[in-house]
Amino acid sequence: MRRSHPLLSAWAWLTYAFLYLPILVLIVFSFNDSKFGATWQGFTTKWYSVLFARSDVREAVTNTLLVALSSTLVATVLGTLIGFGLWRYSLRWRTPLTFLLVMPIVIPDVVMGVMLLMFYALVRGGMELTGWTFENGFWTVMLAHVTFQISYVSLTVRSRLAGYGQDLMEAAADLGANTWQGFRQVILPLALPGVLSGALLAFTLSLDDFVVTYFTSGSGFKTLPVLIYTSVKKGVTPDINALSALLVLATVLLLVAGNALTRPRRVER
Amino acid sequence: MKRHLPSAICLLLLLTACHRVEPKDTAAEGNGTTTPAPQSRNDGRTLRLFMWSEYIDPEVVRAFEKQNNVKVVIDTFESNEAMLAKLQGGGASYDLATPSNYVIATMLRAKLLQPMDKAQLKNFGNVAAGFVDPPFDPGNTYTVPYQFAATGLAYNSGRYTPKQEDWSLIFGPEDTVKFALLDDPREVIGAALKYLGYSVNTQKVEELREARNLLRRTVQKQGFESFAGGPEIRNKLLAGTIDLGQIYVGDLLSGAAEDERLKVFLPTPGTTISTDLLVLLRGSPNPALARSFVDFVLDGENSAAISNYTYYGNPNRAAQPLLDPFLKSQKAFSPTDEDFQAGRVEFINELPQGRVPRLYDRIWTELKSR
Repeated sequence: MRRSHPLLSAWAWLTYAFLYLPILVLIVFSFNDSKFGATWQGFTTKWYSVLFARSDVREAVTNTLLVALSSTLVATVLGTLIGFGLWRYSLRWRTPLTFLLVMPIVIPDVVMGVMLLMFYALVRGGMELTGWTFENGFWTVMLAHVTFQISYVSLTVRSRLAGYGQDLMEAAADLGANTWQGFRQVILPLALPGVLSGALLAFTLSLDDFVVTYFTSGSGFKTLPVLIYTSVKKGVTPDINALSALLVLATVLLLVAGNALTRPRRVER
Repeated sequence: MKRHLPSAICLLLLLTACHRVEPKDTAAEGNGTTTPAPQSRNDGRTLRLFMWSEYIDPEVVRAFEKQNNVKVVIDTFESNEAMLAKLQGGGASYDLATPSNYVIATMLRAKLLQPMDKAQLKNFGNVAAGFVDPPFDPGNTYTVPYQFAATGLAYNSGRYTPKQEDWSLIFGPEDTVKFALLDDPREVIGAALKYLGYSVNTQKVEELREARNLLRRTVQKQGFESFAGGPEIRNKLLAGTIDLGQIYVGDLLSGAAEDERLKVFLPTPGTTISTDLLVLLRGSPNPALARSFVDFVLDGENSAAISNYTYYGNPNRAAQPLLDPFLKSQKAFSPTDEDFQAGRVEFINELPQGRVPRLYDRIWTELKSR
């Protein structure tokens, strides 16, 4: 491979600095002994203790993780099946179906959020007629997240499978496997890196999401992004810097773990 | 295990579809020490507030919870518009919200509010004169003032001291100071109108044209730094990167508590003011509890505690003697009744639909895209 031009690598370093310096500043300022963080007032770790004492933050963290884990689980299972289906059955419906799957990715978040808010209101209206009722909260947020996560998972799974021919399934059938067994024992192991990266993507998207969550969460249920974003107006308190620093740390760990998991491996068996 | 996954998922989805909220009337034995967990929407024991962040003293909330053996759930929003969107979508059932005065008309049109029923608020008499019977809600039928913010000019005395307390520092012909303005059309245009001696709610095209010409010159000055939010301007002043900043007095005072070189004044000949109001939402599951909370907040001691926490203006007469001495010492913190009567501080009101708001929009767009 050709060595890159020095200007090019300088540009790359500049880009990295542009991306990561703000994060670095944030982490440094989470140790700043000032309520506003405009100027450096000395080193302190008090914001971390303030942070850990806040019950609303603890609650928001729990909510965020619960939503992210459960929605990722659902989206991964459904998305994998859809990805498999799109690969397996070359119907004339494939193009419109793929189009429908891409839609949630390109629709602006705010449209998605308002759309779901109205949808839930409609469903609730209908259900109240029958005496059943529900409140927006964990379930509505979780399902809302699934709606956009499915797209990402199914597309990564599909693109992972795109290189393989249908002969794999036929070979499996020749050996006596039905579709489910073929899927389970041949295709799924092959698609696994795609499934895992799709799941990780879905997980981070869920952790990240503010707009859709804000609209679908009803009252009394908030996640971390909602908590943080809605604090911006009156000025973010420094304990939020501490929280953000911890989040960055957690994300880095997750990325490293994800990298290790999805590194291409030889399929055993 | 994996084999059962599909069926588990189906079960999960089914559960989701028919998650039934059981009416739990098995009231917890109120021994006063534990706060009950939030239950169904209209249990009379859970109060849901929708407000700005950092906008209430947690101690006051705890006191109310303890006194009534209820649970208070607080959700926050970051703009009046985001709050409106969520409430209008009907996805959330809150009891009380704290919108700013200029969206009240919109909320009334959208039928989001129900009357506050002043007769039930025995502490309503504590409301200061300037906030009773406001133009956006004659007779205080729907709103009770919560906190207010006059807009002042702030400076870092370590860097710059103004000769006079006047808008001309910014709008005058001199171009020696470095300044920032609030990123808000009504505040900026309002300041220019006030400098020219007009009302912040003017609908006269001629006056608006004059304000536009003035602002056009202003943002072309060497000293003009940026449009920014309140906390951002406070941080710029703390860091000493600007001399003067238009700012909500509350945002500045919380900074002045950390760095006493920060000062703020209400410039002559006048300035804008906006209030945040407690409103009872139409869908409120627990209106009785909500009213008792409003009454609790109207109590002088509680109201003072809230202002001492937020550093935002206090519209409560009974609270005035109990305010933090630092706040009391700040002239900009409490405009006097005369200030109101003389029009020195003027509420930003909603403009009637039609041509006038479009003019404001056009001026703002032009300034921002300069």
